Amino acid sequence: MAEVKLVSISKSYDQGKTWTLKDINLNIDNGEFIAFIGPSGCGKSTLLRMICGLEDITSGELSINGERVNDRPPNERRAGMVFQSYALYPHMSVAENMAFGLKLAKAKKDVIDERVGEAARILQLQALLERKPKAMSGGQRQRVAIGRSIVQQPRVFLFDEPLSNLDVALRVQMRQEIARLHRRLKTTSIYVTHDQVEAMTLADHIVVLSPLAQDATTNLEQVGKPLELYHHPANLFVAGFIGSPKMNFFDGVIEQNGEEESRIRLTTGESLKAYVNTSKADIGVRVILGIRPEHTLAETDNGNSVDGRIEALERLGAESFIYMSHDTIREHFIVRVEDSLRREEGSRIRVELPPEHCYLFDAKGIAFRRTRAPEIDH
Amino acid sequence: MAMVQSRNLKYRVWTARIVMWLFLLVILFPFFMIISVSLRTGNFATGSLIPENPSLEHWYLALGIPWENADGSITQPPFPVLTWLWNSIKVAITSSAMILILATTGAYAFARLRFRFKQQMLTAMMILQMFPAVLALVAIYSLFDQIGDYIPWLGLDSLGSVTLAYLGGMALHIWLIKGYFETIDNSLEEAAAIDGATPWQAFRFVLLPLSVPILAVVFILAFIASIAEYPVASVLLQSMDNLTLAVGSRQYLNPQNYLWGDFAAAAVLSGLPITVIFLACQRWIVGGLTSGGVKG
Repeated sequence: MAEVKLVSISKSYDQGKTWTLKDINLNIDNGEFIAFIGPSGCGKSTLLRMICGLEDITSGELSINGERVNDRPPNERRAGMVFQSYALYPHMSVAENMAFGLKLAKAKKDVIDERVGEAARILQLQALLERKPKAMSGGQRQRVAIGRSIVQQPRVFLFDEPLSNLDVALRVQMRQEIARLHRRLKTTSIYVTHDQVEAMTLADHIVVLSPLAQDATTNLEQVGKPLELYHHPANLFVAGFIGSPKMNFFDGVIEQNGEEESRIRLTTGESLKAYVNTSKADIGVRVILGIRPEHTLAETDNGNSVDGRIEALERLGAESFIYMSHDTIREHFIVRVEDSLRREEGSRIRVELPPEHCYLFDAKGIAFRRTRAPEIDH
Repeated sequence: MAMVQSRNLKYRVWTARIVMWLFLLVILFPFFMIISVSLRTGNFATGSLIPENPSLEHWYLALGIPWENADGSITQPPFPVLTWLWNSIKVAITSSAMILILATTGAYAFARLRFRFKQQMLTAMMILQMFPAVLALVAIYSLFDQIGDYIPWLGLDSLGSVTLAYLGGMALHIWLIKGYFETIDNSLEEAAAIDGATPWQAFRFVLLPLSVPILAVVFILAFIASIAEYPVASVLLQSMDNLTLAVGSRQYLNPQNYLWGDFAAAAVLSGLPITVIFLACQRWIVGGLTSGGVKG
């Protein structure tokens, strides 16, 4: 059980010429489940490896339970880690794999047996204790890897994309097992993933990281509860990253500003209402209007709609996605519909963008506050 | 896997087998010749492969047993062949064991640690090792002459000096082990570190057990090289009781009188420890030791 505190943590592999991580500040409470999420190259795994001591910290301060651990080697930090590649010791049986750390710590044999037995019971590995890793499936191996950290009774659990090597069905099952495990052990956990479904379903709070831009002061984009990130993304990056398929963006300018609602004129001339607070922005400034595919209403026009041409259809059965072209965006925008049987590629339709579902960002990508979206406590 | 095969594959398999047998014969023929020479009466290098008058004369002498000739005279064993054999084994085992220890730890440093001039050191080792030790014979001789003034048991004419000199041939073994270490996923040692292992414990309990096959190979190679080595040992060793078998067998080949029969018996003897070591190490040379540890 532990609180983990990161103060202005930065990482550079070449003595400060280029930075991988910059100015990361985080407070992780006791028992909390935190997910680090971001596209590849954002440094999320590096950050995790810095917390457990496999990478040194270039600058900043890392403390566990109030004690500075920057210079402590991994074996003194008491953090358990589950690797993406499992990293089981191939020459040891399951029981030996799990007992390895305790044996090194010179624990008594009955303590070892008890803890290994307990972990095996929690993870349903009793029948496999004498097996070698190569005789097991991916899901079983990952369970052994989790068991190996459980027996150590670590202060923090660190998961480095633990499920990305598993197939979809197994991933769903293991995701639920990890959630159940956390409810049961209540150990502070940090979970690195690029899969937002894992982050959204498992985490109390999500930390969104982005690949560090040239002149950016930090690559920590937002920390928040899963639904907070969904409803109130702090900026364009988070808005585009959270949600699948990703949010549609339209270029425009503020036509009419206000505290409760605003009016945006897109570059095509279409005028749209959005429930966002733009009272601090001037009329005429460039903005980006966002809307998620699942909130658009195809072939509807309640006076807040845009015109587009159907480029492609993706029929998934329960739902379909229409890829539409619109003059304000280079690629296409995506509209979700329940069924798409009557629609044909090449035809033009109007799509309603309900104002309560609109997001708005200024030219720098910072979000304006939405006024009619669900409020989420931080 | 029973893959369907075309009929003419059978002929190809048979052709391959016959070629292999011929190849094997080419390798084995000199060996049979030596055994044959060692069993011939008298010291003749040439003769039929199956001796006409087989005699154990040379073997008696090699094993240090006096031989009673047909005319009743007794031939005393001229040289302490078994002592030489024992010397060879001592030198080979000590030097191979030390090579194993030093090469393994050295290879670990090159494979896992980050330090300055790593690549340059690796290249330099490789290049230096390409020069045959014969080129440095004079240097080796005078070096050990000097060392002997301070540490007698490492000086000239001591088995210690030969053992130490053989350690010099380690660079290739370091390369070999380093290559193997690099095939083992680093995350295994990271996992060990997280489990509370010190770097030494991670090396000892995770990396080493997984590297047993390459360690066995290196031990065998070092052992064979040491048993067969002639030039360095011939310069460093002088007194009759200190010679290794490779150097000692030369004593049979006097300028005027080549005792081929005795020489052959000694030569066959020198193959003995190599065979034993190989059979003993064979079971460690197995594949697939690291499979299953990490997702490939």
